[in-house]
Formats: sequence, structure tokens, C-alpha cells
Amino acid sequence: MGQFGYIVKQAARNISHTWSTQLMTLLTVSLAVLIFSFFFLVYTNMLKAGARLDDDLRIIIYLENEIVPEMQKQMRKKIKDYGEVEKIVFISKQDAFERLSRQLGNDRDVLNDLGPSFLPPSIEVYPEKNLKTLTQIKEFSDFLATLPGASKVQYGHNWMERLGYFTKLLRIIVMLSGALLLLTTVFIVSYTIRLTVVARHEEIEILRLLGANNAYIQGPLFIEGFLQGFLGTSIGIFSLYLLYHWIKSRFSGPDILNIFEFSFFPPSITFLIICTGLILCSGGSLLSIRKYLRI
Amino acid sequence: MTSTFKIAEDLEESRPIVEAVKVTKVYTPDVVALQDVSFRINKGEVVFLTGMSGAGKTTLLKLIYCLEMPTKGLIEVNGRDLSKITSAGIQRLRQTIGVAYQDFRVLPKVTVFQNIAMAMEVLYKEPKEIKSRINELLDMLNLLEKRHTPAGKLSRGEQQRVAIARAAANKPQLLIADEPTGNLDKTISARVMELFKQLNESGTTVIIATHDETIFKDSKNMVLDLHHGQLSF
Ligand SMILES: Nc1ncnc2c1ncn2[C@@H]1O[C@H](COP(=O)(O)OP(=O)(O)O)[C@@H](O)[C@H]1O
Ligand SMILES: [Mg+2]
Repeated sequence: MGQFGYIVKQAARNISHTWSTQLMTLLTVSLAVLIFSFFFLVYTNMLKAGARLDDDLRIIIYLENEIVPEMQKQMRKKIKDYGEVEKIVFISKQDAFERLSRQLGNDRDVLNDLGPSFLPPSIEVYPEKNLKTLTQIKEFSDFLATLPGASKVQYGHNWMERLGYFTKLLRIIVMLSGALLLLTTVFIVSYTIRLTVVARHEEIEILRLLGANNAYIQGPLFIEGFLQGFLGTSIGIFSLYLLYHWIKSRFSGPDILNIFEFSFFPPSITFLIICTGLILCSGGSLLSIRKYLRI
Repeated sequence: MTSTFKIAEDLEESRPIVEAVKVTKVYTPDVVALQDVSFRINKGEVVFLTGMSGAGKTTLLKLIYCLEMPTKGLIEVNGRDLSKITSAGIQRLRQTIGVAYQDFRVLPKVTVFQNIAMAMEVLYKEPKEIKSRINELLDMLNLLEKRHTPAGKLSRGEQQRVAIARAAANKPQLLIADEPTGNLDKTISARVMELFKQLNESGTTVIIATHDETIFKDSKNMVLDLHHGQLSF
């Protein structure tokens, strides 16, 4: 058995001596990781959904009357003078009617008696991507409402606004749970290691007298923190994965979740979270070792 | 009890393992435990350190294994000046010294076997070697049946033997025994002295602090006699 074997054996011995505390620490770390990664998962999915909505963000101006081609040029100029626009599409009554009947597919028969006249003509404005904030979009749409012949402007603002607030709120929650993760892992782990140091106080003193080197005394404590980090984070992430699947199977259906395309972390992020947990827990044990095992 | 230890003059190689020059130790605030103590112990010797309780024997031993630092004077172990030693140096030094402490310093909740094994594990010895060495020592010290008993459950005399076995486990270059027979009866004392003799024959230098005259009075070995912290020859 080499040096490393002894250190691992010693670590196992320590853990088995204070196993109930170790278990509590493990649970705390797992729970902290679970809470953080849960909110982080929701947050990243929210951002993705937001980006998707932004991509097909358009402002629709419903008009009272059809616009003749000369007027269209003028309108185009007016809109472009106000702000940068990716594209402007004029939809006549006829265009709107065709689009609707395409959307209805096999049910298009219902339109037979109606004809294109009941649908209002409209202008669809696709703002530049740099027009990101909701206030900017709101200002823009307020301006568009003042165009001659405009009867109503629509951009799904309720939906967007709510998503925006929710994302902001989530960001705060993610940061808070991140802070919680940081505090619990570093302090709980360093506290547990401190307990081990206190419990082994007599033994460590004797080991020093026997000429044990630093690796022999500190190694097991470091391994203890490392193991707590590795197991705790893995359990936390794995629980989240189970939770994710459970939610998906319970609430899956063509409607709600598919809009969001709720998805789990890619392997790289999973790996990153585990590494962070490892680093935090090892850091916690180093903190204790430096503080209580000065040599 | 007659001792058959080798004496220093018999040894061809007589390099010092411990050398002290005018060593003084004052415990704060003003307890003078040792005063201007000078001596030299050569490799392979057996030395008795005697004197009444409070004479400074334990203090002198502590200076040798670096648990205390001298207030004044020079002390060298294995040619190393202990005033300039690093913490890694102390670790290496202690790996070559086996100490049976006056207050035993055994872990009460840990078995006899494990208490002794600690000393060998620190040097990363193989489990097989540890087991056979410990069984050999426990057999010699009449403790074999107690090997799985927590040390705290043992009598003082038994704990003392655990401490001695631990000090001897690695067959160290230097063995220090602080009052090793203080709690032992005659026959067991003889076994302990037999163990020290065996170690000495295989090259270990032995320093025994004691106020028990019977274990050194007839021997030809070096005796350092302390009186109120001063050596008298
Ligand atoms: N840590 C200490 N602090 C203060 N005084 C001490 C300490 N250790 C020992 N002494 C004192 O130093 C003197 C020598 O003690 P010690 O070396 O233990 O003697 P011995 O081992 O010969 O009985 C005694 O007077 C003792 O009270
Ligand atoms: Mg003493």
C-alpha cells in the first residue's frame, strides 16, 4: 500500500467516525446544488425562450383601409426615419385572407362564404435586433400608432413584459441561490472538517510526535472535502435530472411545455456545475486545514 | 539486575547522535528546568538519565525530539542543529526517533494494535510487516491477548507497555524511554529491558530516563545524573 492508499484509508476512517455529521453535510451540499441548479435550469430555459420570441418579434399595425403603392413608399420612409427596421411587409386584405386559409388547412371551407373583405389590411414591422428592451419596443409601437390610417398596433406586449419581469426575478433568485450554494458548501464543509480536526485532535498531536508528514495529516481532510464536493454535487445534479424527467412526463403534452422547449443542461454545463461544487468544497476543506492545522 | 549492554568504548564507530553544549531551559516565567547542561551521546550507546522527580529529565528528552526549544545553548541530533530545523526537518527527525512518553500518550478509544500501528503507518510500512512486527512486540511484552482491547480499558502498566511497543515498532535509530518501568513489576521490567537490549544490539541508541536505581546500578553504561537541572558526573 503506497502513500496514497494510507491517506485514502485514513480519510475513510475519519468519515466513518463522524458519519452522521458527514451525511448531514452531504445532504446539505446536495440540496444547495439542487436548489441552485433548479433555478439556473429554469433561468437558462427562460433566456432561450426569450431569444426565440425576440427572433420573431414583429409589430403589426392594423389599418382602416388598403394602402395604394405610392402611399406604401411614404409609409416605409416614415417608419425607417423613426428607427432601424429589418423589414417591412404590407399585407393586403387578399394576402391576409390567403394566409388565414393556409393556416386553416383542411378547414378552410369555413371561409367560403366570407371572402377577403372582413379581414383588415396591415403592415408588419420587423425591428432591428438591437431594439431589445421593452421600453424601446413600446416607444416604437406608440409611434407606429400615430401613422395615418392606423387603427390598432399589436406586438404581444403583455406576454413579453411578463416574460421579461419573470426573467429578471429569476436572475435574482439564481444569484441568491448561488450565494446560498457558495455559503453552504464552503462553510458547511469547512465546519465539518473542523469537527473532524477537533475529533481527531489528540490523534493528530500524536501523529505529529510520530513524525507524520503534512500529506499524511492534511491529505485525508482534503479528500474528505473533495468527496463531499463530488458526491454532494453529483447527487444534487442527478436529483435535478430525475425531477426534470418527472415534470416532463407529468406535464408533457403538445401545448405548454413545447412552446418553451424545456431542456436539461448540456453535458458541458453539468460538468461545470460539478466542478464548481468540487472546487467550493475542496476550498472549504483547505480553509479549515489552513486555519486549524497550522504546522 | 545486571545489564549486558555494550558500552561505548567497544564501538569502533563513535559518532555522536546527540550533542548538547551549555543547554539551558527556562520555562516562562522563571522555572529553570535545565542549566548549562553539556553532554555527548554516541551512536549505539545506552544511556541512563537519572535524577529525582523534577530534576529536568523529561525536559531534556523533549529538547531532543524537538517538543521544546532550549532557551540557551546548542543541541544537535544526528549532526543537525535543532535551533535551525524546519518543520519538515522536525518530521524527518521524529521519524528516526521512537519515544515512550512518561504520560504514555496512547489513544484511549483505539485498540492496542492500532495505537502501535500508527507509528508504522506514518512511515507507510506494509500492513503485513506492521502485523508481524506488532505481534512480535506484544508477545515480548506479554500483551498479545489484549491486542484488540481499546487502550483506555488497560491498566497503567499495560498502557505503559503499549507506549514502549509503539516507540520500538520502527526499530528507530534513537529510542527514548521516559520512566519506562514506573508502573511495571519486576518480571515485566526485565522483559522491557530485554527488548531495549535487542534493539541496541541491532544498532539503536537507547536513552532511558529513570529514578529506578535497580535497572542501572550494576551496568557499565553511561549515566547522566541530573540535580536541579544540572549534570553531576
Ligand atoms: N511546561 C512546563 N511549564 C513550566 N514548568 C515546567 C514545565 N514542564 C516542566 N516544568 C518544570 O520543570 C522542572 C523539570 O521538570 P521535568 O523535566 O518534568 O522533570 P523530571 O522529568 O525529571 O521529573 C520541574 O520543576 C517542572 O515543574
Ligand atoms: Mg519526567
